[in-house]
Amino acid sequence: MSPLHFSFYSAFTFSSLGLAFHRTHLISALLCLESMMLSMFVPLSIWPVENQTPSFTLVPILMLAFSACEAGTGLAMLVASTRTHGSDHLHNLNLLQC
Amino acid sequence: MTYFVIFLGICFMLGVLAVASNPSPYYGVVGLVLASVVSCGWLMSLGVSFVSLALFMIYLGGMLVVFVYSVSLAADPYPEAWGNWRVVGYGLGFVLVVCVGVVLGGFVDFWKVGVSTVDSGGASLVRLDFGGVAVFYSWGVGLFLVAGWGLLLVLFVVLELVRGLSRGAIRAV
Repeated sequence: MSPLHFSFYSAFTFSSLGLAFHRTHLISALLCLESMMLSMFVPLSIWPVENQTPSFTLVPILMLAFSACEAGTGLAMLVASTRTHGSDHLHNLNLLQC
Repeated sequence: MTYFVIFLGICFMLGVLAVASNPSPYYGVVGLVLASVVSCGWLMSLGVSFVSLALFMIYLGGMLVVFVYSVSLAADPYPEAWGNWRVVGYGLGFVLVVCVGVVLGGFVDFWKVGVSTVDSGGASLVRLDFGGVAVFYSWGVGLFLVAGWGLLLVLFVVLELVRGLSRGAIRAV
């Protein structure tokens, strides 16, 4: 595995592990989601220039657009949780009591 | 040049580790900003300058600025930075997972592959990704319209999520 590929592969692993574990704040999970997106954007940009296929450069731009949608929705849920419960602690999201 | 690019790759990993190791969100955003600045420099070193600048402006200048002021909603009375033992434990645990994965998966030919791509040398004004993104407006115009429609839709999604008076998705009051 080349050192570049190892960098973003392990960055994706770190952020998905960070998303999987329990944390106090909702926004910490959203930040891990954003770093997953960033660590996917970098290899998607490098892959067309390594394989000399320019038309695949479309894919990271499209991914950036949809990740902006996702970040906006996540922050809207953060704001809604703060306005209802006063904080964004994950133990406030307890409607599913099982 | 090769060592500089590998150094940027390592800094990217460290920035993402700083986010994932669960500090207080005030410090997590610092790690994310570092990771995105370093990834912009990394993409620029590899020759894809357009997507690097698009990342800089849209991701760092748009989305991360919104995240940075949204962390004010996540106030901790005692914020934990990376000097805290709990955060260090998380970080070392994640590094251990990746090391175990590397040992099991095999680390063949690590130093044989370089870091140059087709555009990383020389000084040309128009690079490979300029032509690639132009496809978005010519042959990929349907996808362009779908993405624009999705972005417009998200505006209304956000409006409905934060609407109060028991009408939104999360609002109970």
